[in-house]
Amino acid sequence: MKTNMPLSKPIRRFISETERMLDTEITLLRKPDAAPGGTLVDVYTYNIDKNIIIFPANYIGLLKDFVIAKQCTHLFIKGAAAKKSGYKICSFTSDSVYTGMRQIYLDALKDEVNKEKKLPVKKLLEMLFILYRQFHEDINELPWNPIVNARIYYRMSQLRKTQLYILLKDGKQDMDEMSDMMDIVPRRYFVLDKSMFYARDLYLAKTLPSDKLTPVVNIPQMKKFDHLEVKEMLTTRWTHTAWYQSKVFGDNMLTIMEKHLDVDWSGDATLDYYATLYETGVSLTNALLAYMSMKDWFIWEKPKHLLAAQEKMAIYEQDALKRIFGDLIEDT
Amino acid sequence: MPLNDVVPLQKKAELYIRQTKYREALLLLDQAIRLDPKDAKSWYLRASVKTEMERFAEAIVDCGEALAINQNYADAWSKKGLALYNLGQYQPALAAATRAVSLNANDASAWYIRGICLEEMGKSDEAEIAYAKSLELEIILDIKDESKRIRK
Repeated sequence: MKTNMPLSKPIRRFISETERMLDTEITLLRKPDAAPGGTLVDVYTYNIDKNIIIFPANYIGLLKDFVIAKQCTHLFIKGAAAKKSGYKICSFTSDSVYTGMRQIYLDALKDEVNKEKKLPVKKLLEMLFILYRQFHEDINELPWNPIVNARIYYRMSQLRKTQLYILLKDGKQDMDEMSDMMDIVPRRYFVLDKSMFYARDLYLAKTLPSDKLTPVVNIPQMKKFDHLEVKEMLTTRWTHTAWYQSKVFGDNMLTIMEKHLDVDWSGDATLDYYATLYETGVSLTNALLAYMSMKDWFIWEKPKHLLAAQEKMAIYEQDALKRIFGDLIEDT
Repeated sequence: MPLNDVVPLQKKAELYIRQTKYREALLLLDQAIRLDPKDAKSWYLRASVKTEMERFAEAIVDCGEALAINQNYADAWSKKGLALYNLGQYQPALAAATRAVSLNANDASAWYIRGICLEEMGKSDEAEIAYAKSLELEIILDIKDESKRIRK
């Protein structure tokens, strides 16, 4: 481990354990402009020599420790998969982009019929790929979130209070995501996206219910959550938002999550255990994609496939538009 | 050069520190200390830079200089605690961090250093209290930062 920063004991131990089991090196990097949830740049995804966990410079204590724990758990899962069965992620090809964008277009047409204010054609075309990418990003992240959170909750109890705050914050952010696109995005996709986050929050509410939010009652903004358990907090919040209509889909996704995340969260930190967590994430991802009728939108491939695909994103988008609209689309 | 000219040097050094340009910051702070060795802030800032550069023993010396000028300099006590912790000197690190929080109870970093030192010394109950205080302060700062980001 390469760092000159203070770390609490469980984190220090966890990093060393991860390095030893994966036979790799982890560098911690503080950056003023880092994403609030931190970033993991790992040897299993990128062509680099050592893993780097980047976190916001203003996180100096337990917030920093939690971000590191989260990214390190994810690294352990990736590394165990790479060492055991092979690490793959959801990638895309020209064909899969076409399949996804075409489906979004057909659904958008259905929506447009009932809209008083029609979407300008240019915006509609732009929206197809933006929405496709949004789901790609979400499906590569969301299924791993409950896995990583549940694991940390059971293995690093010292971080529970911090974890509750981060869940509260992330959940709010995810709830608001895409809100500015509400009038543009076809209803079906808006609801499906919200439903994934609803299911995640409700799953975590059931899995990590025992701690109250009492450490933060001195903070005025959090007073309203005083004496609330995390379960109450997450469920109450969803039932009080406009996205409660996501409940039907969200409850179905919750059932899927509960079925697939049948894991002993306190298991010993072995390569086999973390490889099992990876397989669990893969099966949950597939189940969610199947439920959303997006099975052919993405393919499981090695990370370098995705890196190459990302380079060709603009080409794939143009190809898909040409296949959907034929000569109506001009070369740009 | 008048003594108050150290202020722009300190400000520029702080900017470099935020940009993690520690060598540049160090040059300016060396200059500031030569200009006015009685300015505690220059010593404290140089200790901060040296801590980032993992020159912990030198950082402790600089903190000592800052504290000799102003023994109630909370940030210097906090930085000294951090440097001592990094050298594995948990007992004096705890003492420095305790002094820091007694002077400034809103120093999240000092509470955290207290927590990790107490944890290393096997005093987990006391560590938990220090961690809780540190977390509370960190969350307040985070909420403020978040509001600023949203306003932007």
